[in-house]
Amino acid sequence: MMIELKNITKIYEVNKNNIVTALDNINLEIREGELVVLKGASGSGKSTILSLIAALSKPTSGEIVVETSRVSKLSDNFASDFRRDNIGFVFQKYNLIPALSVKENIILPLVPLNLHVKEIEEKLIRVLKMFHIEHKENQLVKNLSGGEQQRVAIARANVNNPKIILADEPTANLDEKLSLSFIEILKELKAEGKTIVVATHDPLFFNLEIVDRVVEIHQGVLL
Amino acid sequence: MRTKINIYLVEYAINSLLRQKYKTLFITLVLTALIFLLSSIFFITNSIKYELQSTVDSLPEITVQKINGGRHYDIEVSVADDILAITGVKSAVARVWGYYYFENAGVNFSVVGIDEYEEQYKNSLTNVAKTLDFSASSMILGAGVKKIINENYYKEYFNFIKPDGTLKRVDIGGVFDTDTELESNDVIVMSKESVREIFDMSENKATDIVVKVANEDEIATVALKIKLLYPDSRVITKDDLKISYQNIFDYKSGIFLALFVVSLFTFFIIIYDKLSGLSSEEKREIGVLKAIGWRVDDVLKEKFYEGFIVSFFSYMSGVILALFFVYMLRAPLLQNIFTGYSQLKTSFTLPFVFDMQTLALIFFLSVPIYIAATIIPSWRSAALEADEVIR
Repeated sequence: MMIELKNITKIYEVNKNNIVTALDNINLEIREGELVVLKGASGSGKSTILSLIAALSKPTSGEIVVETSRVSKLSDNFASDFRRDNIGFVFQKYNLIPALSVKENIILPLVPLNLHVKEIEEKLIRVLKMFHIEHKENQLVKNLSGGEQQRVAIARANVNNPKIILADEPTANLDEKLSLSFIEILKELKAEGKTIVVATHDPLFFNLEIVDRVVEIHQGVLL
Repeated sequence: MRTKINIYLVEYAINSLLRQKYKTLFITLVLTALIFLLSSIFFITNSIKYELQSTVDSLPEITVQKINGGRHYDIEVSVADDILAITGVKSAVARVWGYYYFENAGVNFSVVGIDEYEEQYKNSLTNVAKTLDFSASSMILGAGVKKIINENYYKEYFNFIKPDGTLKRVDIGGVFDTDTELESNDVIVMSKESVREIFDMSENKATDIVVKVANEDEIATVALKIKLLYPDSRVITKDDLKISYQNIFDYKSGIFLALFVVSLFTFFIIIYDKLSGLSSEEKREIGVLKAIGWRVDDVLKEKFYEGFIVSFFSYMSGVILALFFVYMLRAPLLQNIFTGYSQLKTSFTLPFVFDMQTLALIFFLSVPIYIAATIIPSWRSAALEADEVIR
């Protein structure tokens, strides 16, 4: 199994009088190479699941295992290493650094590795070509359209060639044409054998041929 | 192993500073200005301490003046012989000297008389005695005096106006060769005979008597004996003069201390401002970096580079500017705080004193503190869960 969530509960304490149970004792297994869509309304807990898989936060109880790593038990630094080596995260708002160029944004995950310039170039060129943004390499991200920014975000998520791609509401800020274009990208990634989890409430994803499973979530509980 | 300097991280730090160029520029300018002010204060203080130490070192062990009604009068030369008879006294020299006011430039010169065959009371004067032509009416000048009289027509000689209004022409025989400017800058050395003529002093009178004592521990005892022998005299020991100099220096240092405190206060306001937190944009950026695989120590290293670049650049600029300001421009405004009391003296150049301790002190007062102020709030954000920072 690629990803296993066992009895996961996640509680956010906004303040003393406001405690939110985002996930309530959920269990989920995702196989290697599978494309799973997490379906649910806003606030249902979809993004929390992605965040937990990526070790961006820790569950209040339960255990998450990715391949052989018990990611819910990782220390902060090991969690960072785990993300860098295994996870490509496409955020809903892309989370790019607007004042940096496309190239600079894409190679950000590689910066701490202090790789040889040639190796960085190779990785960069691979994703620039893969997502058709070679011609935008030196442009500032803030000057790109929404669709282009998303491609940069996907390229950044893939620059380290991770096994797992997590996408949080990837089409929330895109029109239909760009959404279809994103689905084409998903096809390519799936063809490469990547395990993909997409959290979305966009109906476009629910009947796609490439989607292996649609998992519905409502108020922190899997249906 | 990742032991080498990560050039990409440095590049990212530079980019990060450039992205906030106005903020970076403002902080760099303020830091540079503060370090410049602190360095200037330290450099001037060190130089003047050095000058004063040199002056104090060259002071006579005991100086005897004649006092009447609380005022200083010329003393009989014969007193020197009586003092010489006191046990423990190594030498007693009757000095002939005075201040000559040069009206054209509005400054006072210290005119000192020496005798060819007399033991000089200062080493510097022994050297001057060797070059001075005692057979002619000649003088050796401090560099400051030379400059002033040259600017006022006199290139080869100078006409002193005697008390009766007549002129005394004295040729310029040379310039002092010494590195202690406070001591010699305003000094003119000539024969005692010439000095007596300029100040209209009789041959059996002297300005004061300087006494050397064989054993330093006996200075106070000898001073007491002189006082008992000549109750109408004022006997000043080297320690008394040291205290007077130190008092002037301490008083002036107080003003500098105030400037120093103001500089530090401003610096700590900047530090406090930095420590009080990051903008939401900066926090989000740290969250993004962590979310894409940066470790806490990667974030801190990057912030270290940012802090180091700004503070070290400011440190170097501030120190270099201060060196230029103090030693090339002669510290206008600031130097006057110290030397302002002697408006009538010729101006002097601060001696260059290279003190690693001072440079290290300024470094440790600025660079590490600023770096810490950059790192600490970033560490607070980086230590949070990335999810929390992004949300």
